[in-house]
Amino acid sequence: MSGDITLKYWNEISEGDAVATVTMAVPFERVILDAAATQDYFPGHHNPAYARHQGQKEIYLNTMAIEGFIDRVATDWAGPHTFIRKRQMQMRSSIYAGDTLQGEGRVEKCYEAGGRHLVDVTINISTANGLCVPAVLTLDIPGERPS
Amino acid sequence: MTEKFNEPFPLAYGTYDDAVKMLNKPGEKVLAEFSVNWEMIKIYCSMVEDGNASYWDEGYANKQWGGIVAPLGLLLTWPMSLQWHPKKERKHYFIAMTIPLPGDTIINVATNTEFHRHLYLGDRVSVVDELTDVSEEKKTRLGVGHFLTTKAQFFNQREQLIAEQTNSLFRYYVPEGES
Repeated sequence: MSGDITLKYWNEISEGDAVATVTMAVPFERVILDAAATQDYFPGHHNPAYARHQGQKEIYLNTMAIEGFIDRVATDWAGPHTFIRKRQMQMRSSIYAGDTLQGEGRVEKCYEAGGRHLVDVTINISTANGLCVPAVLTLDIPGERPS
Repeated sequence: MTEKFNEPFPLAYGTYDDAVKMLNKPGEKVLAEFSVNWEMIKIYCSMVEDGNASYWDEGYANKQWGGIVAPLGLLLTWPMSLQWHPKKERKHYFIAMTIPLPGDTIINVATNTEFHRHLYLGDRVSVVDELTDVSEEKKTRLGVGHFLTTKAQFFNQREQLIAEQTNSLFRYYVPEGES
């Protein structure tokens, strides 16, 4: 695996750069896998009748699945040497079984603080129904490519 | 026919005034049932199709981080309660579940997390959280209820701070005839 790894370095990143778009289908199977993988058996994530009782149209992904997808968008782009220092996210609308996720982003700021090389990125998670989860991440990325 | 549901967790019921009395009182520190383990990491990464070598490739992870690390999105999973335990009553660690309010369900609204260090295989998480804000009754497109804000701190077994999280959720009910 190591031979296939793509790494970005802080001094190669500029404000305004696009974060590569990632898409992922969300069939019912993935929502159920989400509940099992995160040990979150809140019934809105596996029981369609309960989800409707909540005013939702279908079972939906939990916060941890969305966090994982957001983080994946960031580290697929910047590389596995990235440490996510901060993640701020708002769940504006749910992501339902049957949806397809799209994560896309943009570099907002590159700066140094406390000896760290930091990059703020916005990452927006959408479905065909529009923006569902806007997020802002602070990424800690090695400063320059080793010579 | 109205379908009856078992409560997802034992929610506490009461009034807004009851909830306000719970502000700024840290809950009990909870030690995770699960140690950080590679099997759960792989299942989670497979769920979000994350091929990050930090989670899959021992050679890379050893060199970069000193070992396989846990995806940050699994932070809330380690202290989740089991569905059944021979000696313990099922109890969710989120203090938000113990706040007395009228709503019979919840939805998460916003989560902000600051991460200080990685979790490694074998680490054992503990968490403590407290209610820092409760709104007066609000009506949203989902229903009628209250927004709860909680702050949580997560530690490893060496009492090193792993992450701090501020979470906002909506505790609500769907008015009769609107579900």
